[in-house]
Parts: sequence; structure tokens; C-alpha cells
Amino acid sequence: MTSRLSSGTGVAARTGTAARRPRRRSSPLLIALAFLAPALIALLVLRIAPAAVALWQSMFQSGLLSGDRFVGLSNYIDLFASPDFQGALGVTLLFTVLINPIQVAVSFLLAVLYTKRLAGAKIWRSLVILPIAVPPAVSAVMWSVIYRPDGLANAFLDLFGIPPQPFLTSPQQALVSIMVLLSWIGVGYWMMFLIAGINDVPRSYYEAASLDGASSWRQLWSITFPLVRRPLAFVLVADTVSNLLVFAPVQILTKGGPEGSTNLLMYDIFTRAYTLGDLNTAQAEVVILVLVTVLIVGVQFRLLKAED
Amino acid sequence: MKRSRAASVAAVAIGALFIAGCSAAADDSGSAEGTLQFLGTDDPATYAPVIDAFEASHPDITVEYTQVPFDQYSSTLQQRLGAGDDTIDVYGVDQPNLSQLAAQGFLEDLSDLEGEAKAATSEGQYEINLYDGKMWALSVWNSTQLMFYNRDALTAAGIESPTADPEARWTWEQIEEAGRAAQASGTQYGLVLEQIEAYYQLQPLAESLGGGSGIVGDEMLTADITNDAWIQAMDWYGETFASGLSPRGVGGFQTAPIFSDGDAAFFVGGPWDVGRMAADADFDWGIAPMPYFEGGDAVTPTGSWSWGINTASKNKDAAREFLEFAAFDAAGALSTAEATTIIPANTDAEAEYLPGLEELGGDRAAGVADLISFEVENTAVSRPTSVGYVQFEAEMNKAFADIRNGADAAERLEQAASQIEAAWDKL
Repeated sequence: MTSRLSSGTGVAARTGTAARRPRRRSSPLLIALAFLAPALIALLVLRIAPAAVALWQSMFQSGLLSGDRFVGLSNYIDLFASPDFQGALGVTLLFTVLINPIQVAVSFLLAVLYTKRLAGAKIWRSLVILPIAVPPAVSAVMWSVIYRPDGLANAFLDLFGIPPQPFLTSPQQALVSIMVLLSWIGVGYWMMFLIAGINDVPRSYYEAASLDGASSWRQLWSITFPLVRRPLAFVLVADTVSNLLVFAPVQILTKGGPEGSTNLLMYDIFTRAYTLGDLNTAQAEVVILVLVTVLIVGVQFRLLKAED
Repeated sequence: MKRSRAASVAAVAIGALFIAGCSAAADDSGSAEGTLQFLGTDDPATYAPVIDAFEASHPDITVEYTQVPFDQYSSTLQQRLGAGDDTIDVYGVDQPNLSQLAAQGFLEDLSDLEGEAKAATSEGQYEINLYDGKMWALSVWNSTQLMFYNRDALTAAGIESPTADPEARWTWEQIEEAGRAAQASGTQYGLVLEQIEAYYQLQPLAESLGGGSGIVGDEMLTADITNDAWIQAMDWYGETFASGLSPRGVGGFQTAPIFSDGDAAFFVGGPWDVGRMAADADFDWGIAPMPYFEGGDAVTPTGSWSWGINTASKNKDAAREFLEFAAFDAAGALSTAEATTIIPANTDAEAEYLPGLEELGGDRAAGVADLISFEVENTAVSRPTSVGYVQFEAEMNKAFADIRNGADAAERLEQAASQIEAAWDKL
């Protein structure tokens, strides 16, 4: 966000200096600014101003009994000392490290599968995409029925003679259960971008490879994979960001439990702000979440670039 | 069943109109006028009868009701009252939140009405509106909990069912034993609580053993949930799930269908479940007092909504008239319960209301009216009055959910205590 903005002003500044001598040229700058104004104002009002307010207010504490006062970084210090926040940060990092590679890998394999000329591939493809049409809150409610002790999931396991599982009521299984539900929603969506990428790979490459006797695996790793790197990079980054902001399923299914095992940062922020009524510390937590997101995405960009 | 329910609702309605008609002639003394803005969490249909009755007896005042969903109610109040919004005159006060709202200066001092308030309602419902030596709201509704039992399931297990007599109140130990026997003879669960992870319904477990509400101290800002009674109560609570007597993985307020489908021997729920069971349960059921621990006290939950006046209101005289109508006037109070199954806090209205509720439940609910009166009068223990109640309840409910799912009660209560203290430090 910031990099886009600063490069934008950079361009504007350069045009400005260049335009000083021939006077006529200053009007295109104004026109350009006028055209950009709605976007710039929206950016300022909807993104930058709230972020600045959050940063500013995260350094205050306004208590019911104690009144408003400036506390500097003490909200941040309190957060890092709080076992709840430490737990939430740990859970969020574990969740991020597990779910993103899994979702991207599954989306990629599904995309490869459904771009093959198989019987009914398009129908299967549509079925995989279908869950996107269900609002997240509704899918969460559906899965709450599936995961109930006497629900569909246990009935299914019973078919194979597997004993009933506790799913959302177990600290060991709850996070994985939420990952399954999120992947059910997400995999089809990310698959669409990868299908578009795979369809852009010229057929002639595969034909040439076949003539040279390359196996399907070889074609997948040496042709498809390198040529969909760009959509894959997009999917990885976008998926990571969306998974860092997961909220609805946690709120509906587990409320962060059992024993904090699904207490993702987004949900912890919500409870801190609206249940415990501690808006200032919640804002400090928002700032930390943004920093964590920027950091992870930055690392991803760097890794992807290094291989180019 | 449907028809008898409709008939009894109609009967109550006609009764209310009749009394409203009488009182209209008697007390139209107020000179207040204008439009009142009233904020609450219920469906507008719930308040239509009381608003209609009030407007009929106070022709110069109109009341406009706005509904805010319960989940957003507290934050909406904080935002609007915090900004000095004068477009709210009267608003519903969730009783445990009263201290916080009063401490913030969002409630008008109604101490001059203390005498009338004391006379109009039960001791508990009068005291719940006090904070810092002053009275800040008037109780409009009250609640209690009852134990529903599945007579068919108990008979199949060779167990004689309990009765509605408070003197013959069962203990939790008896419930557990009978529940397991019912499970052994084919009923899926022994015991189900309606608000299965909520402080409202679980506070009595600890209170019954003498553990207190969990909040102590002069300022009511010290957590006391790690005493032996709390740990013993929560050990028992956790064990009911570990042993399969009660189900895990089913959320609060989603549990009533388990009982009405015949899959549980005992169910602890509210008066609002009487009509529901009458309509939905097609087996033989009955109502008994909420149990207590052997050797402990009989304790039941209580409390519901009070109404208060916004300090920023520009129409406080009319607001007072409306509050007094709903809380002090028997007919007015009765009209608040006309379109919903809730107990009016006004004692006279309660006496009028309960027979209608009993009728709603049919023969199986026999004795419920006397039982509710008894509990409200004798065993009801309110939730604690503390400016930190909101944080306390939130952390407690999380702890209950974890203990239900198998966390060690003593350790989890210890953790909850430090979470509560941390949240209170920020007040």
C-alpha cells in the first residue's frame, strides 16, 4: 500500500518539475490529479486515516474508572506479557504455516486435474467452485452441524469403522477442523486463478515435450509449474492475507476455544474490543496484526523474487 | 395445542386490556407530553401491547420503539450514550450491566421512586437496580429456571418422577443417578442445561455449595472463583460431559430440541420453555424445581431486564411516566409480558400472569405457577452487581466452555481469575 502510494507521488513530483518550464504542461498534471482525486481521497479516508487513528489510539488507555490518559507503548507491553495474546499469536502463526501451503498445493493439483481433458471435468470443476457461493457465516453454521458429536462427519467415519471424533470440542482437533472447513470454501476459489494460468500455457510446449518422450510428471514440473509461477505467487500472497484475517468461522464455531486452540488474532482483537471493551489495547493488537501480515508477505515476495 | 395456546394468550390480553381500561380512568394525572424514543433488544411486536396501553392512558405521549439486536446492544449503547445522544429517552438495561451504565453516568437517578419500587416487586428485583446507594432503573421483567423431566424415560428406567413441590426438591446427585439409569434404559442423554455454557445458569451450582457469585470485595472488583466450592461445582459440571451424561458440541440455546425430541431425561430451562414443550414434546413430561447439591442451599438464577432513563434525554417527565406505567402499574406490567413468555417483575402482575402460563403448558405444567412464585421469593440469587461484570461474564463463559470440553476445572478457574483481573486492571 505504502509503496504504491510513494511511487505515485514520485511520478507526480517528477512530472511537476519537468512541467515548470513549458507552462502549458502544468494543466495535464492538474487534470491527472483531478482524475486521481476520488481514488486518493478514498485511500486517505478509508485506509490511511483509520490506520493512523488506530496507531495513535493504541498509545492511549481510556478506562471506565480511570479516564483517558496517554500511556505510550504500555498497551503493547501489556499485550506481549499477556498469555492470551501470546497464545493467539502462536495459534495464528501455526495456522498460517500449515494452511497456506496446503491450500495452494491442493488448489494447484485440482487445477492441473481439471484442465486435463477428462470426462465431466467441467462439471467436477463447477462442484469444487460451488462453496464460494455460500456466505462464510452460512458455511460455518453448516459445518457446525457436520462436526456435532452426532453429526455427519462422525456418521461418515463410522462407515469405515473409525470411532467418533470430538472435532471442535478437542484442543487438538479444533484448529484442523477449522482448516478443513476453510479449505472447503477456499480451494475452489484459488483453483480458478490457477486454471486461468494453466490455460495460458501454449499447447505446443506439451506437444514438443511429448515428442521428446517426457512423462506427464516431467511435463507438470518442467512446463506447467514454472509457467504458472506468476498466478501461483498471487494466489499464495492473497491466500496468506485472507487466512490471516479469518474471523467468522471462529466466532460461530469455537469462540476461540477449546483452551484457546483456535483463538486467531482477528478473533482475539474482536473479543478484546467488543467483549472486554478495551478498544485501545485492541487497536494495538490490530497494529501488530498488520505488521505480522506485512512481514510474512514481504518474506514471500522476497523468496519468490530470489528464484526469478 | 396451538389453539389452547392462542386462547390463553388472548385471555391474558383481554384481561390486560380490561385492567388497563380501569386504570386509565384512575391515573391520567401526568402533564407530560411529546414523543419518547425507546431502545431495546426485542422484536417490536413484544412491546406493541405495552406501548398501545400506555398511549391509550396517556394520549399526549407517543412512544417510538427501536430494536437493536442483542449482540450489538451493548456496543450501540456505549457509542450512542457516550456521545450524549438525546434521541434515546428510555432504554432496556440488562440487569448485570446496570452498575457499569450508572458509573458511566448514562442512567438518570431514580432514587425518589425507591419506596414505590420496593412495594411493586420482589426484594431481589428491587436490589438489582441499586448501585452506589442509589436506584438507577426499574425492573420490568424477571426470570427463573425450572427442571423439566421426561416421565416416559424415567418410568422406563423404573424411576419415580420428581414433583413440582419445592419441599421435595431433588439434588444434583439424584438427578445424575436417575439420568444415568435412564441412559442405561435407552435415553441418549441424562441431563441437558439450556444455557449450557452460560454464567446465568451455572452460577447457582457454585452458590449452592456456598462458593458465592465469584466477585467479592467492597468495590466488587476482586475475583473469587478458585475457592473449594467453585472448584467442586466445576469438577462436577465437567464430569457430566466427560461421562456422557450431557452432550458436548451443542451450543447454548440449541439444546431445548434435544429434550423436546425425547433424547434427554432432564432439562433445565426457563419459563419460556413451558409453552415450547407443550407445543413440541409428544411424550409425557413434567416440571420440578431446579436441583441443588446435597447438603447445600437451594439456589435459582433470576433477573432479566430493567428500564432506565438516559441522562441526556430532553423528555424525562414523560420517560418517568412510561417507566412507572411498565413497572408500578399492574396492568401496564402485565402488558409487557403479553406478547412474550416472560415473568413480569411487578408482583401483582406476576400473580395475574402465572396462571396463564400454567394454562399454556396444559396438565403437564401443573404447579408451575406456584413453583415460580416460590423460587422468585425464596431461592433466587441475582448475578453480582459490579462495574466489571461484563468482563467477568465473558471470561467465565470461556472457562465454562473449556471445562465442558475437558479442561481441568481448578487450573482453568485459576487461569480465568487472572484473565479477569487483567481485564479489570484496564477499567
